[in-house]
Amino acid sequence: MAYKEVEVKQPLMLTILPYVSIIAFFALWELVVQTGFIPDTLLAAPSTVVKTFIVKLHDINPDGATMGTHAWTSIQEAFLGYALSLLIGIPLGLCMGWFKVVEGLCRPIFELIRPIPPIAWIPLTVFWFGIGLTGKVFIIWIAGIVPCVINSWVGVRMTNPTLIQMARTYGASDWQIFTQLCIPSALPMVFGALQLALTYCWTNLVGAELLAADSGLGYLITMGGRVARPDIVVLGMICVGVSGAIIGFVIDQVEKKLLAGIRR
Amino acid sequence: MSNSIANETINHSKNKEPFSIVRLLTNTYFLNAVSLIAFFLLWDYVARERIFHDSLARPLEVVDQIVRLTQIKYAGTNLWGHIWASTQRIVIGFFLAAIVAVPLGLFMALNKYVNAIVKPLFDLFKPMPPIAWCTIAVLWFGIGETSKVFIIIIGSFVPCLLNAYNGVRLVDPELYDVIRVLGGSRRDEIFHVCFPASFPAVFAGLQISLSVAWTCVLAAELVNSREGMGFLIKRGMDTHKPELVLGGMLLIAAAAWLTSQLVSLLERKLCPWKRTIDNL
Repeated sequence: MAYKEVEVKQPLMLTILPYVSIIAFFALWELVVQTGFIPDTLLAAPSTVVKTFIVKLHDINPDGATMGTHAWTSIQEAFLGYALSLLIGIPLGLCMGWFKVVEGLCRPIFELIRPIPPIAWIPLTVFWFGIGLTGKVFIIWIAGIVPCVINSWVGVRMTNPTLIQMARTYGASDWQIFTQLCIPSALPMVFGALQLALTYCWTNLVGAELLAADSGLGYLITMGGRVARPDIVVLGMICVGVSGAIIGFVIDQVEKKLLAGIRR
Repeated sequence: MSNSIANETINHSKNKEPFSIVRLLTNTYFLNAVSLIAFFLLWDYVARERIFHDSLARPLEVVDQIVRLTQIKYAGTNLWGHIWASTQRIVIGFFLAAIVAVPLGLFMALNKYVNAIVKPLFDLFKPMPPIAWCTIAVLWFGIGETSKVFIIIIGSFVPCLLNAYNGVRLVDPELYDVIRVLGGSRRDEIFHVCFPASFPAVFAGLQISLSVAWTCVLAAELVNSREGMGFLIKRGMDTHKPELVLGGMLLIAAAAWLTSQLVSLLERKLCPWKRTIDNL
């Protein structure tokens, strides 16, 4: 199936419209706040948010830490939890996909824990570990491990049976089939899990920090709400969004590099 | 899932082997039973030995607590009231989000101009975790029902829209070729190819939305509420009653599981052409 590449010239409208819509959105936002249509106790204008951001870079008021400290705390927690969930989740999922015994033993417990939203663990982790790093890493770990296990499990399961039969015909052992055929063919799914797990981790990180923390981006949002400073709340939300997007983009690039030869 | 024909020609004949201890030990049901029993025994042991001091309840205490909640009124309403409070929020928020997001997603995929306007805005909001909206929702709408429903709408909107959008874009192009060869118009393409072929993806999006919605309602209730399952958990945290916390967790897990089963039932009724993988 060789298709000829055809250059389609996009109408000018289509190239301009995305920028127009973004600019219109920010202009509208600025306008409704500046004209007082929405009072500035409820929403901060984009210009105010930028100003607050610059101030927050070196000022620790009113929440006790600078922007850098908050971001560093959050990233530390997120990465520890994320790395742990990958480290445990992916091998577990791969083994569950191939070894019947592992699946039989792990699946019921996994199915039992899976429907519990990770945020529901917050009270227990506060009881067990306090509001420090450990508790939040635990919650993020729980959040991240679910997509890791499911995707690598499905990935192994979706290995083309014809290939497995062929490997058998050539005399490969079960272990060889697992390591040399099933795992590579599961890789695209596993990388899908990396993205998913990251989104889950990041969401639940904010949840964990909203409820039990003394620094971090989620804590910044809570404190902004508590002292009725919408500019801080919006700033926190934007920071969380932007950092999430950046990390997601990095993973996407890594995936493209590593999976260059594998058809998706 | 996979386009390979080979996946559909798996040998279904059963091989009968003589009874042996090894086969019994590797039987799936046997292993499941072993793991569940071991899990609950371990839980009971850890709770009884007070490894976490008094911060873990024994399984039977949790069951006892749930049963007691059905009989007495806790903070003004009994267990069913709390379950209904959360479910109501989910139902309202989820339906509002799905009704707007799914058509919008389909529309975005079908029309380039709509896509050019909506997609950048959507990409702007997409990476923001819905829970981050909790605080601003309280600022805007107070601590009533509106703010909780708002968070649920924000949370379930994204996966609904994304999956509807991708569902249409990833329709097999050969299907279009077929209907064009058969003389179909653009209308036929949309109604007879596009929509049916994208429905499985739409439903997958609904499933994800639903689980996000449960997370959101829980977060909203943990932050601020007077009734609901999240309230039970929060109250258990404040009064240091691990059996109440665990009871709330079990309830919310059961509720989330039930609603997701409902959606898959609906899916099986509405789009029976979806292909599934065995044993999953």
